[in-house]
This record gives sequence, structure tokens and C-alpha cells, in this order.
Amino acid sequence: MSGAVPSRAEVLSLFRSLLRTAARFTDYNIREYARRRAIDGFRQRRGLSDPSSVAAAFSDGKSQLEIARRQAVVYSVYAPRVKSVMEVKTV
Amino acid sequence: MAAAAWRSAILRRIRVPVETFSQSGMPAWTHPLRGAAAVRFMSSHDDHLDKTEVIDRVLSVVKSYPGVDPSKMGGLNSLMDSFVLDEQVTPDCHFQKDLGLDSLDTVEIVLALEEEFKLEIPDKEADKIDSCGIAIEYISAHPMAG
Repeated sequence: MSGAVPSRAEVLSLFRSLLRTAARFTDYNIREYARRRAIDGFRQRRGLSDPSSVAAAFSDGKSQLEIARRQAVVYSVYAPRVKSVMEVKTV
Repeated sequence: MAAAAWRSAILRRIRVPVETFSQSGMPAWTHPLRGAAAVRFMSSHDDHLDKTEVIDRVLSVVKSYPGVDPSKMGGLNSLMDSFVLDEQVTPDCHFQKDLGLDSLDTVEIVLALEEEFKLEIPDKEADKIDSCGIAIEYISAHPMAG
């Protein structure tokens, strides 16, 4: 049950949503990972032409987006006060 | 010019109240009928970013975009392809036609611009931004650009 083939606009919208959700993570490491994973995942599947695999990849991405959204909220509830050293602007 | 950036940054933070006077020599805001309109306490009319500053920041965001396709990774020769070169980035360069980026890169660049200027660009508007020129126009016209 992979659903309908997404349009180009829908794919780009999913990409944008994933990147926006990634930016909302409070933890530096998870945030950077989510961003990297989204970019890598979309780049690797760039050349997909078979409609069923495109639809499968799209629904895969949508479920990952839902997971990321929930986790961003959960992480923000338990966010530690001390920020990662990578986020320190001035040394 | 750095001096122009300093000037605009300082001017943005100094707000000098201007006192206008009516014919009788009293301050304009004491006029019984039109007084309130002469004082605009909460006006941010001249708060827009300087156009040159917008151009500089937009171009620096585009220049710092790596633009390397990880599926092309394979040895040192891949580092030579598809970096965004400094000379190519002009205030009217098109992301896909001039810089050889694709639609995924365009989405990333628009999000990087959102972060730089602390904006939240809706999807419909973001889809239209596909060149430096359009990005500069949109950001200059946006009241919340910071």
C-alpha cells in the first residue's frame, strides 16, 4: 500500500518540511543528523523513475516526517540546559 | 563597503525624535485635532534593511553553499565538480541555469536564507524564489527581515 505517485511539487514540499522539522530539534547532534539524512536520502533517490518505487519512497519519507515531528516535541520537553559546544558562538 | 554597512547598522539603531511645530509655535502633537497623527511612537516605517546589505548577505549565503552531490562522491576528483564558484555568484544569477544547482539545492538555499534573515517564507512564495535577484527583491520587500 504505497499510495499515489507524488507530483514534483509534493516531493519538494516533503523535502522542505523535513528540513524545517530538522531545524526545530533542540539537540545539536540530532538536528544535524536529521538534516544530513534528509539531504542524503533525497539525493540518493533522485534518479528513481519507476512509479511504484517513487511512491514507496515518498510514503517512506512522509512516515519519517511524522516521526521527526513527534521526536522534536519530545526532545524539546527534556532538553538539557547545557548546550553543545558546537553551538557556542564566541570562545 | 564596510563603511556603508556600519552606517546603516548604526542608523538602524538610533531613533532621533523629530519635533514638528505648528503655526502658533506649539509642538505639533499638542494640536487638538491633528496632534495625535504628528507623533508616531510605534512607527517602524524606515526599519527596512538597506538594499546593499541585503545583496551582500544573500550572496554570502549562496557562496557558502557547498553544492556537492554525495552520489557523485568517489575520490578527490569529485571535490573538483559542482562547487559554487565565487565568480559565478552575481546579484542576478539563476540557481539552476547559472549555478548548475538542482531543485533540492534551491530548497536548501531558500531555507538557509530564511535562517540568515530570520524569516518564515511560506511554501508558495518559496517556490517562486529560484534566482538571487528574486531572493533579494523578496527579502528587501519583507517587513520582518532582520
